Amino acid sequence: MMLKGIGKVYRKQKRSTFIEVPRTKFNEAVSMLKKHGLTRISSITGYDSGGMFEVIYHFDFRGQLVNLKVKLPRRSPYIDTITGHFPGAELFERELMEMLGVEVRGHPDPRKLFLCEDSPSCPLRKMEAKHGKQK
Amino acid sequence: MESRNDANRETKQEAADRKKRTYALPIGPQHPALLESENLEVFLDGEVIKDVIVNVGYLHRGIERALQNRNYIQCIYLAERVCGICSGVHTISYCQAVENLLDLEIPNRAKYIRTIIAELERIHSHLLWAGVLAHELGFDMLFQIVWRDRELVMEILEELTGNRVNYSMVTIGGVRRDISKAAIPRVFKVIGSLEERIRNHMKVFLNDKILLSRTSGTGTLKRSEAEELSLVGPLARASGVHYDIRRDHPYAAYGMIGWDTATERGGDVQSRVIVRMKELLQSVRIIRNCLMKLSTTGDKIRLEKNCLAVPENEAMSRAEAPRGELIYYARSNGSDRPERVKIRTPTYSNLLGLRPMLKGQFLSDLPMIVASLDPCFSCTDRVALIDTSTWERKSLTENEFRRHIENRRREK
Repeated sequence: MMLKGIGKVYRKQKRSTFIEVPRTKFNEAVSMLKKHGLTRISSITGYDSGGMFEVIYHFDFRGQLVNLKVKLPRRSPYIDTITGHFPGAELFERELMEMLGVEVRGHPDPRKLFLCEDSPSCPLRKMEAKHGKQK
Repeated sequence: MESRNDANRETKQEAADRKKRTYALPIGPQHPALLESENLEVFLDGEVIKDVIVNVGYLHRGIERALQNRNYIQCIYLAERVCGICSGVHTISYCQAVENLLDLEIPNRAKYIRTIIAELERIHSHLLWAGVLAHELGFDMLFQIVWRDRELVMEILEELTGNRVNYSMVTIGGVRRDISKAAIPRVFKVIGSLEERIRNHMKVFLNDKILLSRTSGTGTLKRSEAEELSLVGPLARASGVHYDIRRDHPYAAYGMIGWDTATERGGDVQSRVIVRMKELLQSVRIIRNCLMKLSTTGDKIRLEKNCLAVPENEAMSRAEAPRGELIYYARSNGSDRPERVKIRTPTYSNLLGLRPMLKGQFLSDLPMIVASLDPCFSCTDRVALIDTSTWERKSLTENEFRRHIENRRREK
């Protein structure tokens, strides 16, 4: 598959490719993937590395996984929605918003998914959890 | 008397008004039609469903967070408890992710044993599902019979692994127990009688007039909708989407033996029944093929691998659970604990499919349609920890907390 020009391929495994793109080029990369014929969004992983937030979009392409990683600065963690291209991402983006506190711009239904509406947000962030038992 | 009549007239009129407009009917979190806690807000026009909103989160246990606080071996047993029905495939998927982190290739015998366990589990899960569907249709006799036959699989699983559920069979680098030569003929025998019974159930599901009239044309999901919403598993395959991880992304022994995928084009509840019934027969075939190969493979079932320091890496792992594609993302940081594990379960993906399936259907068909998705909410709700009392404590820094305690002591 043509993955050149989408972003920097930083890890390649059996049937799984990891690509990193800067946030400014994210929308472009997603529409390019869509143009290449990718229709299936498998999952979205949010991860707090301590310094930056990392959001990994897992797309499926005929049994191959294309993992698109975007790093977001802690101070302004926002990203655009991909539900326009991939409607199946709706719930994954809602989970990303509540668990990591990432703002997904343009999401059609930005309610909480697993947590209740009045719960204090971002349980998967590292800083907040430091005061509890978890590290 | 007169005033009561007036009151009656008013309510009749109200009822007439209500008929004209859509109203919201909450179903759940606790409801006889649902097997697990969830909440459906159903917008009705008379008996017809106009829209539905699914609210989940009632079974949230914080497993992803908990996985970060355990070492790799302890995580196997926690991952196994994400779901009570497809527990085996969760361990397979988790162990594959860790093996990918370590770049391990497991012995062939372990691959066959993993496949046998996964397929026995699929049989038990699909039979359970068929029973639940029959029950939701009001066909309790069929429900009892299907579940009686499910016991055969459960017994075999117990014989091979020691447990009816949560088999603890899979571990990082292979499997924990071998399948002995003495057990193989018994498995063959049970599988044979199961196959016969599955064929009988298939006849009932495909020929009974009442079943047919309830299931055919109900809860239809178009192929385009299933593709657009990235739905997985038998639900997508019943709508004509050829998507099976066992074939597209072969793991364990699926690439090493002969078997076929099952797809249907109808997209209704009937097609979902047919797909699952066909899959049951394929599972029997896969188990037979694997058992035959067991005699020709080596004796090694496990690679001993130290998981105390897994080098920094990230990896994906996929498996086809009974309900569809299961994905694990794992990231290591050089220690004995995973840095992050993300689990994407099949029902989580399939939830979006409920809306197109239910729109325009009768309310009385709702339990059956929801059941036809084979939802597993304990799988879906597992992502992170919510504990308001701890949160309140967390909002204080350690020093602030100490000061607070000291102040309270002084006050006393």
